[in-house]
Amino acid sequence: MPYWYYDKKDLQNTPSFRDAITTETENRYRKEGARFIIDTGSKMDLGYNTVATGVVYFHRFYMFHSFRTFPRYITACCCLFLAGKVEETPKKCKDIIKVAKSLLTEQKFASFGEDPKEEVMTLERILLQTIKFDLQVEHPYGYLLKYAKCLKGDKAKLQKMVQMAWTFVNDSLCTTLCLQWEPEVIAVALMFLAGKLSKFEVLDWNGRNPKHNAWWDMFVEDITMELLEDICHQVLDLYSPQPQSSGGDSPPAPSPAKQPKNEKKPPSITPPTSASPVAVVVSKPILTPMKNGADIKVDPPKMEPIRYTYPAYPGMPAGYPAVYTAPPPSIPPPPRLPLTGPPPPSLVYAEPPPAPPPRFPPVNVPPPNYFPPLPGRGPPPPGPPPRPYYPPP
Amino acid sequence: MDLSYSKEMNMKARNMREKNYQYVASHSSGTDLDSKYEKLAKIGQGTFGEVFKARARSQGKSFVALKRILTDKETEGFPITALREIKILQQLEHENVVKLLEVCGTRPSATNKYRAECFLVLEYCEHDLAGLLAHPNVRFSLGNIKMVMKQLLNALFYIQCKNVLHRDMKPSNVLITKTGTLKLADFGISRMFTPPQAGRVNRLTNGVTTLWYRPPELLLGERNYGPSVDMWGAGCIMAEMWIPTPIMQGSTEQEQLALISQLCGSITPDAWPGVRTLPLYSKLELPKHHKRTLQQRVQRHIKNQEALDLLDQILQLDPSRRCDAGTALNHNFFWTDPMPCDLASMLAMHRTSMFEYFHRKRGKEVGQMQQVAAER
Repeated sequence: MPYWYYDKKDLQNTPSFRDAITTETENRYRKEGARFIIDTGSKMDLGYNTVATGVVYFHRFYMFHSFRTFPRYITACCCLFLAGKVEETPKKCKDIIKVAKSLLTEQKFASFGEDPKEEVMTLERILLQTIKFDLQVEHPYGYLLKYAKCLKGDKAKLQKMVQMAWTFVNDSLCTTLCLQWEPEVIAVALMFLAGKLSKFEVLDWNGRNPKHNAWWDMFVEDITMELLEDICHQVLDLYSPQPQSSGGDSPPAPSPAKQPKNEKKPPSITPPTSASPVAVVVSKPILTPMKNGADIKVDPPKMEPIRYTYPAYPGMPAGYPAVYTAPPPSIPPPPRLPLTGPPPPSLVYAEPPPAPPPRFPPVNVPPPNYFPPLPGRGPPPPGPPPRPYYPPP
Repeated sequence: MDLSYSKEMNMKARNMREKNYQYVASHSSGTDLDSKYEKLAKIGQGTFGEVFKARARSQGKSFVALKRILTDKETEGFPITALREIKILQQLEHENVVKLLEVCGTRPSATNKYRAECFLVLEYCEHDLAGLLAHPNVRFSLGNIKMVMKQLLNALFYIQCKNVLHRDMKPSNVLITKTGTLKLADFGISRMFTPPQAGRVNRLTNGVTTLWYRPPELLLGERNYGPSVDMWGAGCIMAEMWIPTPIMQGSTEQEQLALISQLCGSITPDAWPGVRTLPLYSKLELPKHHKRTLQQRVQRHIKNQEALDLLDQILQLDPSRRCDAGTALNHNFFWTDPMPCDLASMLAMHRTSMFEYFHRKRGKEVGQMQQVAAER
């Protein structure tokens, strides 16, 4: 079976990146594609497993193809269509397309072509070959539940913690974590994060032995604090507002007005052509990968969204609905974390600092793909902006 | 949006996509079926499609079996049955289960609408049990039969541990290599199942398994079935090892139930508690007052007492009383003399000139039951 895990360098040097799409833009496309699968899937009552499998196919697909060659929303539909069959929850292609249409603008839906169903069918073959028929995908959900069963402590708090971890796993689908770490590792990290945030300290667990420093040593060997923090930050970053992502809503070639500031485009594209999401393929990209790479290095501020930390519990509950809320079996509805009370030390900081304070949780070595927090961007807006995945109906 | 504008856009998008597909196609050269394998002969044909014997063009020139995935009639894209088969085969790794080497497509092009034909590339086995049983000169000794059954039950025990139902047990799906290793094949209608839990009812389709090997519960419309359906088929195959024709050859479901009743006794709530709850029990006219005649009927062929006892335990009407693969493997049949013995030497006798003869005979007399991969 193929190996599906990549290091950070590989995740930078993707087909899209070589096709002059910046890493930031690619990550936004991935996030939007994943959210679209999640939303479409939820609307069709597909289970979390099917949805997650579809998203993993999506991320894997774009390790071999560029977002310019294959527009993201039709790929997303195709991934969900295939995942439905693989997970024994099949949905008719035309029904998926119908829901997709209801969720997308006319412009975005145009990428589905004249005969959307035929497009999805053809794309399905390419998808299958691309993912090398490796259909069975494991997700962190099962591991969360397995780990939770071993932890000792207050039942209610534990449930709350698991629910929060579950929500983080849902949201982690919007990141490339599934291309970096096995589901066990992601489960451990996000459970660790949920434990911190819900103030559930794991003091004892079933099966503990003297060699264990932490509960996860029982399940996964050699997990370092740095690794856990890196994974947590990748998820937490989803909750920091990303100024550029809200503007450019469109695929490889959005209309100039909506074009994100730092997205370089071949200037030759005229609006009607550029409205076709695949049009860019023909014109030779202006930026070579080298240049693009250099671009990133010299221009960190553009890559860096305004970074305030995760506000008291991440702003997620307040007006920021969890991405995908299908609860695990027998777990009560999503918790609202107490926003009042003394913040747990080192987890949260109250006000955006004039100078960068340590970010949650204290990070000694900043994860390699992060730029240092930017000073002096002024106070953050009161709450994160609504996520602009879809235009209002 | 302006209609003509969007039409023009669609046209452009389509041209672009066409280019993309061509691009993908041009990048898949060297990984397509025809450049990797050389088809040698067609060795099987069924509702599922065709099977070919082929040789790898690279490394060792080893033989493989290519099973075409039929996709023409599909309205919902790549068939879910093929996805199941692939997923299941990828999860199974056992000496007695056929190994999926890869899934390989032909090169996509405009002529196939950029939808490549897909083939399962499977390890190649020289024989199948149907072919061997139909061959007049192939004689299985008691030790040989034990070896076949032991490997078959090993395969079933393994797949059941992996929560897989084969659902198409029959001799033509039991392959045997020239070195005598048995491989269970054709997971085309297999499924994963969730082991029975309190309050959970599986709803599986019951129209599966070739009629002659279909257990009574499926014939009576049960949809919440389990691994015991495969055990029934294994029992039928076991009897066939001696007889050596299929023991119950019904042509309709009703007739098949009648044959089962004649062999295993009438289907009544006494013999099978709970049979009343099966959907078709009250709707069908079932033969009454038949006694169980299994032992008497097969005694003429099967002299071995242990064999008779094991067969009796497997061919039970009530699936809950039917012996499972693990229990069967512990049966004295496999642990008394003659012990299971290697098939390689027996098969070696038939490798030289016998196959051609067999090959000719097959077409004339035996018909559709066999898909034997004859040596060239």
